[in-house]
Amino acid sequence: MTAWRARLAVLLPLVGAGLLAVSAGAVQPAQAQLPPPGAAQAQVEAGRQLYLVACTSCHGARGEGGERGPTLVGAGAASAHYYLSTGRMPLNQTGVQPQRKPPIYSEGEIEELTAYVASLGPGPSQPHIDVSQGDLAEGYELFSNNCASCHSSAGIGGALGHAIYAPGLKPASTSQIAEAVRVGPGAMPVFGPETIDDHQLESIVRYVVYLKNPDDRGGYGLGHLGPLPEGFVAWVVGLMAMLGVARWIGTRD
Amino acid sequence: MTESDADSVVEPGAEPVPASSDRATERNIAVSLVVSTLAALGLAMVYIGGGQAQAEGALLMVALGGLGVAVILWARLLVPGPEITDERGETGSPAEDAEAVEQNIEETLDDAPGEMGRRSVLRLFWVALGSLGLAALFPIRSLGPSPGRTLLTTAWKEGLRLIDQEGRLVRVDTLVVGGTLTVFPEGAEKAADAQAVLVRVAPGLIRPRPGREDWAPEGNIAYSKVCTHVGCPVGLYQEDSHELVCPCHQSTFDVLDGARPRFGPATRALPQLALDVDRDGFLVARGDFDQPVGPGFWNLG
Amino acid sequence: MIKGTMRWLDDRLGTSSFTRKAMDKVFPDHWSFMIGEIAMYCLVILIVTGVYLTFFFVPASREVHYEGPYAPLKGVAMSAAFASTLDISFGVRSGLVMRQMHHWAALVFVAALVVHMCRVFFTGGFRRPRELNWLIGVTLLILSIANGFFGYSLLDDLLSGTGVRVAYSIALSVPVAGEWLAFLFFGGEFPNTEFITRFFVLHVLLLPALIVGLLTAHLAILWRQKHTQFKGPGRTETNIVGSRLWPSYTLKSIGLFLLVTAVLAGLAGLAQINPVWLYGPYDPAQAAAATTGSQPDWYVGWLDGALRIMPAWEFRGLGHTVANPFFPGMLLPGLTFVGLYLWPFVERRFTKDTAAHNLLDRPRDAPVRTALGAATLAFYGILTVAGGNDVLAAMFGVAPETITNMFRVLVFVLPMSVFFVTRSACRSLKGTNAHPTEGVVGHHLRRTAVGSYEEA
Repeated sequence: MTAWRARLAVLLPLVGAGLLAVSAGAVQPAQAQLPPPGAAQAQVEAGRQLYLVACTSCHGARGEGGERGPTLVGAGAASAHYYLSTGRMPLNQTGVQPQRKPPIYSEGEIEELTAYVASLGPGPSQPHIDVSQGDLAEGYELFSNNCASCHSSAGIGGALGHAIYAPGLKPASTSQIAEAVRVGPGAMPVFGPETIDDHQLESIVRYVVYLKNPDDRGGYGLGHLGPLPEGFVAWVVGLMAMLGVARWIGTRD
Repeated sequence: MTESDADSVVEPGAEPVPASSDRATERNIAVSLVVSTLAALGLAMVYIGGGQAQAEGALLMVALGGLGVAVILWARLLVPGPEITDERGETGSPAEDAEAVEQNIEETLDDAPGEMGRRSVLRLFWVALGSLGLAALFPIRSLGPSPGRTLLTTAWKEGLRLIDQEGRLVRVDTLVVGGTLTVFPEGAEKAADAQAVLVRVAPGLIRPRPGREDWAPEGNIAYSKVCTHVGCPVGLYQEDSHELVCPCHQSTFDVLDGARPRFGPATRALPQLALDVDRDGFLVARGDFDQPVGPGFWNLG
Repeated sequence: MIKGTMRWLDDRLGTSSFTRKAMDKVFPDHWSFMIGEIAMYCLVILIVTGVYLTFFFVPASREVHYEGPYAPLKGVAMSAAFASTLDISFGVRSGLVMRQMHHWAALVFVAALVVHMCRVFFTGGFRRPRELNWLIGVTLLILSIANGFFGYSLLDDLLSGTGVRVAYSIALSVPVAGEWLAFLFFGGEFPNTEFITRFFVLHVLLLPALIVGLLTAHLAILWRQKHTQFKGPGRTETNIVGSRLWPSYTLKSIGLFLLVTAVLAGLAGLAQINPVWLYGPYDPAQAAAATTGSQPDWYVGWLDGALRIMPAWEFRGLGHTVANPFFPGMLLPGLTFVGLYLWPFVERRFTKDTAAHNLLDRPRDAPVRTALGAATLAFYGILTVAGGNDVLAAMFGVAPETITNMFRVLVFVLPMSVFFVTRSACRSLKGTNAHPTEGVVGHHLRRTAVGSYEEA
């Protein structure tokens, strides 16, 4: 073998490996377990810039909170990602329950803001959910025991006191469901890993996903609101139709 | 609708159907019956094919509907004409029948000469029948056990550890602040009246009732989950206002104030379970609830 | 073939004489007289579908672990009753349609009963000689509401189980005898393994027997007394105008039956009712769960609404408690039904009208009765809607406290206003043929003795 071919035979694999390493690093998602340190710092800084624009008036210059908003120190990535991706933050209106609305930040921006909030202090991290690992029947049991009292057995939500409501779960993504369970936003209680472990969380998420398209083989589901619309339909559709038949058959005098 | 005061030729009610539409009606009847038959056949095929609820319902509706329409149109065809008038007659019977019945009964019950007299014998009959009737009610007693003190106590006793619905023991730090869990006494997992809701609040927030200052170790506070209104499980924990809300009729209880009812039809606070921490860090009960659980009753006191 | 059968029967039973008279019997044709029939045909469907369901339903509380095709409940502990309901819904071909038809029929049945009762009430059809039929009718209403409650509670699902707990607590609240009443009726402290079987006996055997028996008496009395009719040309207190039983009335009735069944079949297949698989089984011990938005079926809704808007009052003294649920849960329905039973006699006392009536009133002809009836409907209507206060709160984004307080006011204010408005409307419409809302179309003129014309 000539000398330069020999050098090529050594260099090429090295370059190839290097390219591979760089490209692998490039496609790793932002919430990977071990992001290259440089990338994380850049994210946090980008998040801080976004934070300074929109969040300081309520949450303070360094997330310490104030009269108009709670502290974000210790809120954690889960909380930030939940509120931002559901569009509940930034708030349109204070004094009322935060509403889900289209988020004003892109996904990348949300990740940056999440990284910044997470950097403020230790808090619940974003849960890693593999829905396919969840057990549907276990999910039913846990949902029924822990969630149905507020969100209803069909996951359509319900009223609490003080004009607060537990929202319907149809629009929630799998990550949002898991984050809400761990964070306990607003009036919702907090379910830590000691009460609902990660596998149980996957089961709950799997069941909630099922509830978005439940088995409605009996016909039109009437909003899954139960006996209320059923009674309405019995009167307005069933009985009215029959009275109409009677009017057709009988006289009106 | 025209209506005149005098008797008129126009009969009240159904307008007479002109004869020329008889053929149209017959055709409609035929169409209805054909549609009905097809639907019935379709229904049979759906059933054979495995069944499908919407198809079954819709086809059954058409099959029955077609038949029904056909029958009614046929009735119109047969009797299109005016209404019939008939006499009612009396509802009561002719006087002599009524009197005859009365007399028959009287003769049977009448007093006749004799030592005791028929009326006194009759009275004894009523007494005997009445006593038998009363005795016959006693099997009802077998329908259920005596209430006794059942409603006044639950399975909670001093030293019993708390377990959750998965059967896991509950430590003092199992719940994070803001968390909630349904708990039962260890060994009595199926005791429905013992169900309790454990809530963890920031310790300084609780305003304990006198004598209950140490009932909530590190902010873990436990109340009966059986609503004192009509007994639904009080499963809604509204964390930000620290209230337990019952989903049935919206009774709302203040967790920080001994679960006193703040709104809704419940009249009594949720009974509280005094908690302690054992050597290994598990939460244990110090005894039964401070009050009988659940809805009120006469002997509640 | 039909003629041959009839002759065969007549030879042995002498049926033809009765049949001849029966065929000629006249029944008035007004459409509102068919409402009772609608209810009756709903009952027929209830019985037919009910018998079918009874073949598959297992009325037992023993615990089983579900192994059927509905995946989210696989392995979940439940009563055999609930498991058999899942089997009917998922395993038996046409089972779900039968079950849904049964449940829809129950809802429409009680609705038809209420409308029928209103028709009789507002036209004065309960007056002498028909008081007995009124009493039987009210009893049928009570039995039907009760049977419906027992029926949907049999399934032992999370939603209906919560309702049974409520019924048990209401029984407990009865003064003096409450604990015994509850323990004897439910077979001990609730929850237990007794009540499913008991409800089954009541729902399938005892109450249907009573309902069918009373309905038979109801119809027999109607047959004997002949139906009432509205006033009109050619109609008097001593005659009856309508069509004959055969062929006209019989065919129309058969047609009504078929179409009633058709409507129920349509609902049964196209509109889902009571999807118990979403609620899951009632397991108060392990699960201790309940769903928000728990309502009973509509005809019990007024009781639930009363429980919700009742303020937190109860009597405690001398070592005893008359618990809060007693007032809306026992006293209110007790007074309701006693009031309904006594009405014909109360009205007679006040109007001093003891004559027999075969002609019906138009509602406007009896302003006080109509106004009272309308106010009563408003009262129970408000209570029924109040039963959904939490759903309304969520729907309108208002606090349940606000909605509840609003109903607490409305439940008094609305019936009172309805009473006065209705009474005044009846008084102004009385004796005229004006449509209640459209007013008089055209003019009625009357010729006076001197030959001029005046408004009638």
